[in-house]
Amino acid sequence: MRPSLQAVALWGKKAPPHSITAIMITDDQQMIVTGSQEGQLCLWNLSPELKISAKELLFGHSASVTCLARARDFSKQPYVVSAYYHCSFRMTGEGWLLCCGEYQDVLIIDAKTLAVVHTFTSSQSPDWVTCMCIVHSMRIQEDSLLVVSVAGELKVWDLSSSINSIQEKQDVYEKESKFLESLNCQTIRFCTYTERLLLVVFSKCWKNSYPALSCAFVMGYINERKEPFYKVLFSGEVSGRITLWHIPDVPVSKFDGSPREIPITTTWTLQDNFDKHHTTSQSIIDHFSGFKDGAGTAVVTSSEYVPSLDKLICGCDDGTIIITQALNAAKAGLLEGDSLLKDSSPHKVLKGHHQSVTSLLYPHGLSSKLDQSWMVSGDQDSCVIWWDIFTEEILHKFFLEAGPVTSLLMSPEKFRVRGDQIICCVCSDHSVGLLHLEGKRCLLRARKHLFPVRMIKWHPIENFLIVGCADDSVYIWEIETGTLERHETGERARIILNCCDDSQLLKPESVLPVASETHKHKSVEQRSSSSYQLGPIPCPGLQVESSCKAADAKSFPRPFNVLPVKTKWSHVGFHILLFDLENLVELLLPTPLSGGDSSNSSYGSEILRRAKSTVEKKTITLKKNKTACGPLSTEAQAKPVSESLAQGDNTNKFSEENDGIKRQKKVKSSKKMHPKLSIKVDASLTIDTAKLFLSCLLPWGVDKELDHLCIKHLNILKLQGPVSLGLVSDEDHISLMLPGWDLCNTEMKRDDSRVNLFSGKVLDLSNKYIATLSNQLVIPRGLENNCYSLQESNTIVYLLSRLFLVNKLVNMPLELACGTDSSFKMESVHNKAKSPASDILNISSFYGYLRNGKNGSHVPEADLSLFKLISCWRDQSVQVTEAIQAVLLAEVQQHMKTLRKTPINSQPVSMAKNGNCEMMQNLPKMEWAEEIELQCIRSTLPLQTPVSPVNHDSNSNSANFQDAEDMPDRCVLEESESP
Amino acid sequence: MAAVLASQRAQEEEFRWLLHDEVHAVLRQLQDILKEASLRFTLPGSGTEGPTKQENFILGSCGTDQVKGVLTLQGDALSQADVNLKMPRNNQLLHFAFREDKQWKLQQIQDARNHVSQAMYLLTNRDNSYQFKTGAEVLKLMDAVMLQLTRARNRLTTPATLTLPEIAASGLTRMFAPALPSDLLVNVYINLNKLCLTVYQLHALQPNSTKNFRPAGGAVLHSPGAMFEWGSQRLEVSHVHKVECVIPWLNDALVYFTVSLQLCQQLKDKISVFSSYWSYRPF
Repeated sequence: MRPSLQAVALWGKKAPPHSITAIMITDDQQMIVTGSQEGQLCLWNLSPELKISAKELLFGHSASVTCLARARDFSKQPYVVSAYYHCSFRMTGEGWLLCCGEYQDVLIIDAKTLAVVHTFTSSQSPDWVTCMCIVHSMRIQEDSLLVVSVAGELKVWDLSSSINSIQEKQDVYEKESKFLESLNCQTIRFCTYTERLLLVVFSKCWKNSYPALSCAFVMGYINERKEPFYKVLFSGEVSGRITLWHIPDVPVSKFDGSPREIPITTTWTLQDNFDKHHTTSQSIIDHFSGFKDGAGTAVVTSSEYVPSLDKLICGCDDGTIIITQALNAAKAGLLEGDSLLKDSSPHKVLKGHHQSVTSLLYPHGLSSKLDQSWMVSGDQDSCVIWWDIFTEEILHKFFLEAGPVTSLLMSPEKFRVRGDQIICCVCSDHSVGLLHLEGKRCLLRARKHLFPVRMIKWHPIENFLIVGCADDSVYIWEIETGTLERHETGERARIILNCCDDSQLLKPESVLPVASETHKHKSVEQRSSSSYQLGPIPCPGLQVESSCKAADAKSFPRPFNVLPVKTKWSHVGFHILLFDLENLVELLLPTPLSGGDSSNSSYGSEILRRAKSTVEKKTITLKKNKTACGPLSTEAQAKPVSESLAQGDNTNKFSEENDGIKRQKKVKSSKKMHPKLSIKVDASLTIDTAKLFLSCLLPWGVDKELDHLCIKHLNILKLQGPVSLGLVSDEDHISLMLPGWDLCNTEMKRDDSRVNLFSGKVLDLSNKYIATLSNQLVIPRGLENNCYSLQESNTIVYLLSRLFLVNKLVNMPLELACGTDSSFKMESVHNKAKSPASDILNISSFYGYLRNGKNGSHVPEADLSLFKLISCWRDQSVQVTEAIQAVLLAEVQQHMKTLRKTPINSQPVSMAKNGNCEMMQNLPKMEWAEEIELQCIRSTLPLQTPVSPVNHDSNSNSANFQDAEDMPDRCVLEESESP
Repeated sequence: MAAVLASQRAQEEEFRWLLHDEVHAVLRQLQDILKEASLRFTLPGSGTEGPTKQENFILGSCGTDQVKGVLTLQGDALSQADVNLKMPRNNQLLHFAFREDKQWKLQQIQDARNHVSQAMYLLTNRDNSYQFKTGAEVLKLMDAVMLQLTRARNRLTTPATLTLPEIAASGLTRMFAPALPSDLLVNVYINLNKLCLTVYQLHALQPNSTKNFRPAGGAVLHSPGAMFEWGSQRLEVSHVHKVECVIPWLNDALVYFTVSLQLCQQLKDKISVFSSYWSYRPF
């Protein structure tokens, strides 16, 4: 999991196409899983009344999904294993997947690591295997693998008795083989009741007792004899339709004795979900196009997000281009009752194209030297327009006289024609055009390609354009003369493409159905064969590390991003909003301290960044997060004001003094550094992003009063309907909920007032959380600030950081989590630096700080129990989204409770804007968290800080991380000093 | 306005014709071509009477005649092999042949053949009786067929890149009787339309050798000087002999692949012209 990235999908009115190629029902008959030719998996909820409703869409595969298999037993989590290019079957017990496909014989794959363990090999005529099944015989107590090859040969391997030889990597040959007189075996099943019969279904001779089924594409049959379960026959079609038949236990026959046709019990498609829950599926610009001409709304055919301006550019099928503020558009689409927002949200409409706009390019996003106002768009009619988006004027119109423009690319910085970078247009008739913008001239029209263009390379020295096509051939064009220099195929073509790797590589997508999903796919093969360094990568948050080298402007994460997604083989597109929780917290953190002073905010995030980068080089993501939290945590040791105020102050003073001394010692050892980078982030934009994010996560309508308080005190808006949340994994695979997901929670009574409650479980979890929370003395928090808006943003920061923490805890890798648990138990891991437990405590104490707003030497014991609670949730396979929502609900409730009781209690606290002080403290009780150090970016009590705290925080920070070995010593030292 | 409507109607009419008639015509043509291609692979079990026929290929190189091989191909398997190797130093003649009881499956041919039959299977499911409703449906079918055809072609055009230990461990070395001498490695593969045989002569590197030992990576054809570790020994390739022979029917098959791939692409292009229609309404 990429813990800090949260996605919200803005679906349009049209469901993405989902041509079912594989279908499966889980054993508990509560879920249907389908795989599609487009490469997505869909999870469908199956209610006890056999009603189907789509719930979630998983984006991972880049090729067609050919098979699904259940994975169970080896973990409590409900995994679904899907395979592409091969079939996989679960083998009981050992956690292996048996796979067959376009290769000889059967592969044995480790179910967890997906590494190939071994193969079952045939001694007789090895061939591809088309289908197989595992047979468990009670009589001989042996599991066997039955297999039918392409050529129609039936083979048998012993499974249980060959486990040892597989582990020792000895060759395992088939026990028996028999030639069947038929080709194209579809499936093979063993009769478990008689243990004698084997049913083999071939495509040509298929005996079928249910006449209604002949056109089904993939189907399955589940026969459970236990009572609550039904005998269900199900099929999925290419059109994306799932159909279920409930087979009666006793066959119903007509009067003449022939079996009566069994009626369809239920049938459903993705589009049904979209139609039924129309209100929830708001496309990002619907409201603009809506009031533009009242009648049919324009369909977005291409879009591009410009992070540096937070602008979303959408090209529509009627030829207009709409430019909006992305965050506003998202808010208008999602939030309720903000008609003001809708009307006033600034947007521009560019009119110039007469046909649907098929591609967009924002050159400045690729090369910061280019003018910020430029935008290039191409349409169905192969007309390319060069715009000034600020003045909304057309700078030039190019007519390519080719097919629809499928993608627009920018030449790399080092490739220039007459001093300027040039635009490359790839059209769907496979032609390529080069445009010189400033010269208002078309340089080259390359039209000889027989197959779709897959790859564009630039040869700066020879002034060549190298075009790689889908049939692996290569065309080399001389740009000056516009002539075809060479055409190569096969091995030579491959060499040519490989040898100019130094020149920048831009790969346009093959045809107009751009599967944006492919760019999330990490496999090497995919990377080389499909597009995805396609010029303007719309999603730096996802892409920045891996591919987007050209865009230096995007080289740091942004809290908010819009990712336009187009689906394969269709024009249906939608947008995904990406919130980077970690980044959001980082950016917001200093803001409440300085009252939205943006210079300060960038300063604060700079500190974090620097601290992070010192360690980042050698650590993995999780550690990176740790370091990111490290410095934050240091300011923690938050002391709940639960202790009596006076006492609190005393201890505070004491510890501060101690720290002062310690800090002085430390400062000597640390080098001085100056922050150089400054990231300009619009503070109000950040806080708006945070608000939108909270709006999307909150379960509205659970408590009316709470809603009201949230709207009033957090200044956030209610949702129009449930949002489709999504998760992003480390490998950039995305899962997205579908419109109507809220109907899938069968345990929850449908209650129209409740909007966006992820599941009934959330309320339970939330109550548990509150219970744990109230075990400690909870006191008003976040109230000590004198400024109202400050308090609001403080609360938001606090909530976000809580969510970040929960997210991280739930997503923690299993082995790390185990470590945590054990260290919780052991309670002392004295000399083990960087144990996960201390990592967590680091985070926790930081949040403790945030909650209490004051620093002190108190240990957040309660937090510890909360962590245990949350870690527990993970083991109970609570979904991340559920956990997050539960915690958010609980925290908001707690927070608002205090607001209900007390009116805003302004308590003047003198705030030193640059009062940075750093301190080191130990945790007297929690010995195991020896690594906790404290550093305070701000002290709320500057008077008690003996040393003028100006400019040493960032460097001492990095120093702290570098000398981690010293930690134990230091701890001992500190322990002696502690009160 | 009327003119626009009329032209729109004409376009729709044209698209309907494309979807209902033209697509099937192209699919039939494709099927015919692929049937020809698959006949070249002489599928076993597809009704051919008796054992698959045997073909002898004499492998040689235009330069030296140090290696000569006669390979017998039976469908996708090598049933016999006779290799004569004239040792470069002493002109001693080495002869080795396959064991009688064993066959060596040429995986490339088997895979290519299977991919073709997969492509044909996809097409037979969409015969004249099937009515295409959207252009996307045709594109999907074409993409699936093209994927199989591209794989079939690539299987023949890109032989596996093996490391020397992989070649040494391969079952091919155990196919010979009498056993292959320990200083020889043999590899057989298909490259485009050619059946290729490579013989590597090896010599052991002395443990105290000053040569910098760097094991060679995977390659289709290793060059002299390539080193590897086998068992406890470090070995170096001293001579490489490559001989080859064109298999005519493979050549035909490759041509058929190319033609059918182009046909598929042309159909896709025709459909794409109407792309503004097919995605919204079914016909």
